[in-house]
Amino acid sequence: MEEEEEAVPVRTLLANRHISPEMSSCFLDEEKFRQCCQLFLEHSDSLSDGWRWESVKDSHEGYLRKTALGTSRRRSNPDQISEREQQQTSSDPHQEKTSLSLQNNNDGIDDGALCCLREGSSGVVIQYEYHILYSNSYQTPVLYFRASTLDGKSLSLEDVWDSVHSNYRQRLQNGPWDTITQQEHPLLGQSFFVLHPCRTEEFMRPVMQAALEADRQVNYVVTWLSVVGPVVGLDVPLSYCTQVPAVPHCTFNSLHPAAVETSPD
Amino acid sequence: MAAVSRDKDSADQKLQFAPFSSALEAGFWHQLTQKKLNDYRLDESPKNIKGYYYNGDPVGLPTRLTLEFSAFEADGPSPARCCPVTGTLYNTNTLEAFKTSDKKALLEQQSKEIWEAIQSDAALKDPSLLCSFLLLTYADLKKYHYYYWFCFPALCFSEGIKILKQPVTLAEVFSPRQTSGLQAAYDRLCIDTGTSAVPYFLVKHSEAAVEVALLRHWDSFITDFNKVTVGVYDPCTLPQHPGWPLRNLLFLIASKWGPQLGVLEVLCFRDRTLQGTRNIQHSIVFQVKLPVLEQSDNTVCPKSVGWEKNPKGAMGPRMVNLSECMDPKRLAESSVDLNLKLMRWRLVPSLNLDKVTSTKCLLLGAGTLGCNVARTLMGWGVRRITFVDNAKISYSNPVRQHLYEFEDCLGGGKDKASAAVDRLGKIFPGVVAEGHVMSIPMPGHPVNFSAATVSQAQKDVEHLEKLITEHDVIFLLMDTRESRWLPTVIAASKRKLVINSALGFDTFVVMRHGLKKPKPCDATDSSPSISSSASSSSSTPAEPAHLPAASLFSNIPGHRLGCYFCNDVVAPGDSTRDRTLDQQCTVSRPGLAMIAGALAVELMVSILQHSEGGYAVASSSDDRMNEPPTSLGLVPHQIRGFLSRFDNVLPASLAFDKCTACSQVVLDSYEKDGFNFLSKVFNSSHSFLEDLTGLTQLHQETQNAEIWDMSDDESI
Ligand SMILES: [Zn+2]
Repeated sequence: MEEEEEAVPVRTLLANRHISPEMSSCFLDEEKFRQCCQLFLEHSDSLSDGWRWESVKDSHEGYLRKTALGTSRRRSNPDQISEREQQQTSSDPHQEKTSLSLQNNNDGIDDGALCCLREGSSGVVIQYEYHILYSNSYQTPVLYFRASTLDGKSLSLEDVWDSVHSNYRQRLQNGPWDTITQQEHPLLGQSFFVLHPCRTEEFMRPVMQAALEADRQVNYVVTWLSVVGPVVGLDVPLSYCTQVPAVPHCTFNSLHPAAVETSPD
Repeated sequence: MAAVSRDKDSADQKLQFAPFSSALEAGFWHQLTQKKLNDYRLDESPKNIKGYYYNGDPVGLPTRLTLEFSAFEADGPSPARCCPVTGTLYNTNTLEAFKTSDKKALLEQQSKEIWEAIQSDAALKDPSLLCSFLLLTYADLKKYHYYYWFCFPALCFSEGIKILKQPVTLAEVFSPRQTSGLQAAYDRLCIDTGTSAVPYFLVKHSEAAVEVALLRHWDSFITDFNKVTVGVYDPCTLPQHPGWPLRNLLFLIASKWGPQLGVLEVLCFRDRTLQGTRNIQHSIVFQVKLPVLEQSDNTVCPKSVGWEKNPKGAMGPRMVNLSECMDPKRLAESSVDLNLKLMRWRLVPSLNLDKVTSTKCLLLGAGTLGCNVARTLMGWGVRRITFVDNAKISYSNPVRQHLYEFEDCLGGGKDKASAAVDRLGKIFPGVVAEGHVMSIPMPGHPVNFSAATVSQAQKDVEHLEKLITEHDVIFLLMDTRESRWLPTVIAASKRKLVINSALGFDTFVVMRHGLKKPKPCDATDSSPSISSSASSSSSTPAEPAHLPAASLFSNIPGHRLGCYFCNDVVAPGDSTRDRTLDQQCTVSRPGLAMIAGALAVELMVSILQHSEGGYAVASSSDDRMNEPPTSLGLVPHQIRGFLSRFDNVLPASLAFDKCTACSQVVLDSYEKDGFNFLSKVFNSSHSFLEDLTGLTQLHQETQNAEIWDMSDDESI
């Protein structure tokens, strides 16, 4: 992963600058990541929010995964859809209808099937897939995502943006978490979009610091996801944040009263 | 939907089921590809796979049977609130086999299994046998085209199923207490059976209580055959129609208990959680009269249906082209493009990327500079890159010339121009690169030894002219000063943007040549490609330049900027007298070519972003504090770098009216006499050009040539 080599892990920078350890409260080790995920999943189950843990075969590794469906507003962009339709038509298997279709006419007619539902009649259905992985290099969670039509064809990032999340586009361009790249999923080897973690620490630090000063319990994964999720259309119900179970082991390392007095900069 | 039946007499209304829409996640195709490559290979035998349907969609989504990447692990877990469906995959090795496979037989075979499960009571014990699917696929792994056709077999009654009581929501027939009773009873059934969703069940409801039971407990649970309610875990969201899974259940009930049954009540159990609140009130309830099965239906498998229609509503397969997300070459292209777009989206919203990526670049020289320029151009997404070089790769080259490897030096060495093209294709298959192994005729290097050499030189000139015409930006990256002369003249005459770079030991120059105004006579065919508006100017050629202290001028417009030779007071062809930077690539500090090559491309990109392109006023070092003229910043005439000081300066200088390459008299001679003029330049000593341009006379007038040199300690 080129990106990971390029960027100096922020922790190293901090260490080199001899910044006190409590500054690193914005980082998450893998064990705490798992704990946060566990609590996150429990809440998801109670909401039927659809998150699940996927373990990778023959490995201790895994990730949180959720799928969601939506209808695209892509119809508002006639160019794209017609281009797509043309593509489908040009390499159309249906032209060979005679050889491919069922020979027996009777089999084609089915009184019992509701047939007036044409696909696309209510917009294009899009399947969204979100994965949360742990990055050892950055010591933060990383959000991978992709979107596809019902035939499994992935959308381009522009399609994704055009279709659903236009109200976040401005934010995505201007926000501090705006680093989307296309990368191979480290566990699956398939092409995904990634909200790159190189700036995660930047926006998480104030949040974690504030929580620390207010002596609030915070689930890192929840806090992080409620910032980055909406950017790519991922809805994070408020109750994840409001119903934080008081689990001390999910606070962050080296937090003791003395640390609170140290001002961040 | 309801419109179909509304005009019919309601007493005659027949029940219609919403068919499944197949839904394939991207990961499914990845996994199928892996299976085909690693496990199945040429094995076409049927494989067990698994899909699921989900209960809880918002209204408006089609009823789906979803296959994920995990579809190939037939006994893996299913997501919450999903009913697993077992299926059979028929993956053919050829498109022909896909086309000719007997769909009717496949359907009949699968239906027969369902029918037999009903006859043998196996389906009663395990009702999930009622719902299954077939998937016929052909994966063209060269094109990443996937052909597929789903079948969701359903056994058919010979006549339709009569609706006796139209569907209504559960909220209309159940009290809140009954509703919560049903929900609790269903959840208990799931817990008892250890699943997250029970697909089919029996219901008994009264004012006082709601009970549910598994299908296999029919005999003990059903006491009154005139009041039977069956429940189905229903993935459909339509208010008037059940989903597909109900269909075979009704056949089973008709087959087992049909003759004794009066009215059958159906409860389509729908279960949705919105913002943490669970609700089943949108479940629907209706009553039907099942047709009486014919005698034969219990001895011979009845007619069945189930092949999915394609998106056009016709009975036919589907095809999805996944080359964009699976073909490594396409992936490389889209990743490169995306990274550039992200740069624009994030940092430079006004960046015109197309202007950069569509630029056709001609690189004269494929040495240290050429290699670095090519790589930086690729970084910018430039797709058309052409090399001209006549050298072969030698042992000293690969460590500095980053497109070559040790192997390229063996056996006398490969031609740089073609090796560079090969390497670009390996780095990024989307590039359109060309290589031309040819030498560029030079002033003071005679070509008149024989008719053959003259004719070769003429061919080389014509070839170079053609290449320059066909490209938008010409990079001069050769290692001799003289070889830059001919392309400078041709490009100036053809009004092409020239980016020139040369290296010293620890100094370099990167510059754009002045772009002469469009010729008045041929505005029709050869308007310069690198100008925003060809109509922007009066048609007078460059005004005569005033010689002294040209570099101190500011606000020099692009058409009055000098070329590489403008600062010289000697014609090219005599290296011993040349005192400017040049000709020492192999002894320059190794980082220099990377710096200069990168700057050459970045200068080009900045020029392309300027609304006036090559006619843009030259920015100078003084402009560093001012509002930049382009989204990317300054557009200097020259960048002169001094590695010893780690410093760059941005001088600008006027075109010299006695320039041996770009002055009007040279261009006129070239345009009038063509190769005749050029061959005179090649064959003569440098004094020919000096005489022509008036340099000779100038020499006589001034003894101090030093002022034209750009020396290190000049303050700019
Ligand atoms: Zn000149």
